[in-house]
Amino acid sequence: MRFLNWLAAYGPSYLSGLGWTALIALWASVGAIVWGSVLLLIRLSGRRWVNLAVEGYVQLFRNTPVLLSIYLIYFGFPLIGVVWPAVICGGLALVLQNGAYISEILRGGVKAIDLVQFDAAKSLGLSGWGTFRRVVLPQVLVYALPSLGNQVILLLKDTSLLSAISVAELTMNAKLLTEQTGAAYEAFVVVAVLYLLLVVVLELAARSALRAVRWRPRHDAL
Amino acid sequence: MLRLLLEGAFYTLVLAVAGIACGTTLGLLLTPLGFLRVRPLRAFYHVFIFFTRGTPLLVLALLIFYGLPAMNFSQGPYVAGTIVLTIYSSAFFAEVFRGGVLAIQRTHLESGRSLGLAPLAFLRRIIAPLALRYALPPYVNVCVMMVKASSILSIISVWELTLAAREIIERTLLVFTALGIAAGLYFIMCFGVDRLGRRVERHLMRRGFVGERV
Repeated sequence: MRFLNWLAAYGPSYLSGLGWTALIALWASVGAIVWGSVLLLIRLSGRRWVNLAVEGYVQLFRNTPVLLSIYLIYFGFPLIGVVWPAVICGGLALVLQNGAYISEILRGGVKAIDLVQFDAAKSLGLSGWGTFRRVVLPQVLVYALPSLGNQVILLLKDTSLLSAISVAELTMNAKLLTEQTGAAYEAFVVVAVLYLLLVVVLELAARSALRAVRWRPRHDAL
Repeated sequence: MLRLLLEGAFYTLVLAVAGIACGTTLGLLLTPLGFLRVRPLRAFYHVFIFFTRGTPLLVLALLIFYGLPAMNFSQGPYVAGTIVLTIYSSAFFAEVFRGGVLAIQRTHLESGRSLGLAPLAFLRRIIAPLALRYALPPYVNVCVMMVKASSILSIISVWELTLAAREIIERTLLVFTALGIAAGLYFIMCFGVDRLGRRVERHLMRRGFVGERV
């Protein structure tokens, strides 16, 4: 009963936090996928020292916590004369970190393609772009979508860390409410449920996306 | 400054090891629930996994940080931090172990059963070694994840590497030096855990316990 009263009183104040979390997660995911693809393309271009640099970048970000990159950008950028709002700093950190993971996921998808297929595409007279669009992309999507979905869910959960640099998203919302109202757990239970809701939405979206890209035999495929 | 950061790294390592050890134990206790024929227990397992994996670690940490004192259980930040890591990692470990068991081929199970082993011997001689073989690589991944995740505890004022770096930044404004060294220390720890995991894997393979790599 106490919980329900609490929910009635403070429930609506979560909406702005929910909006921010969704917004940050959405744009950071888009940015991370773009950045991950760029990293992969750089890596596939095949120059040795460039490869090493990208590999070092990926390893570095995979073996250090996100919170550290968030602090690095938030506290470090003003020192070199770049003053950005906290949301942008945090979002950039999420993009840099998750881009590293996503480039690895996509690389796994590209590596799973048999090299013979590239010869086949060439013999069919497909251009570089045509090969990418008709041969590589459909297979990579099917192969990588489940892991990509997981990564986006991890990113969504990591947006909660932006509360450490006082971005007004869901977790910050709950923290403030707890301190204002003195309620011990209600605020965080509500937030946990809201995160679960977002995770379920993402899972359903990933599943329907997979269904949409899964290969169906079509005679006019080429 | 380096001393402070090294000390922080030590606390990070202690927290991660404690969290991984307790989380593995809890995970091992949870895994069988996922296989039981008793409906409510299996439902409990799935609900627990869903809740723990679907919410951010920070939310769980804050819940416990503010919730424990309200239940008159205040044992200091390190106990709270270990509890947080234990609960969080147990869900991941339980799923890793469950995945390991599910990856066992049906024929292996059937031939094991046809030997007429007692249930416990069946578990010990057939299921455990085969599941271990599949579960070890993802298990190591979760361990690396836990080293990184322990940094989140700095937000609930558990003093470890990330909080040490933050304190140094607040006092000296040496942002790049402090965070650079901290990142290096995290890298060494995570990379170390990863390498250690691979060595264990190779060692077990040589003893014929884990079989060929999958």
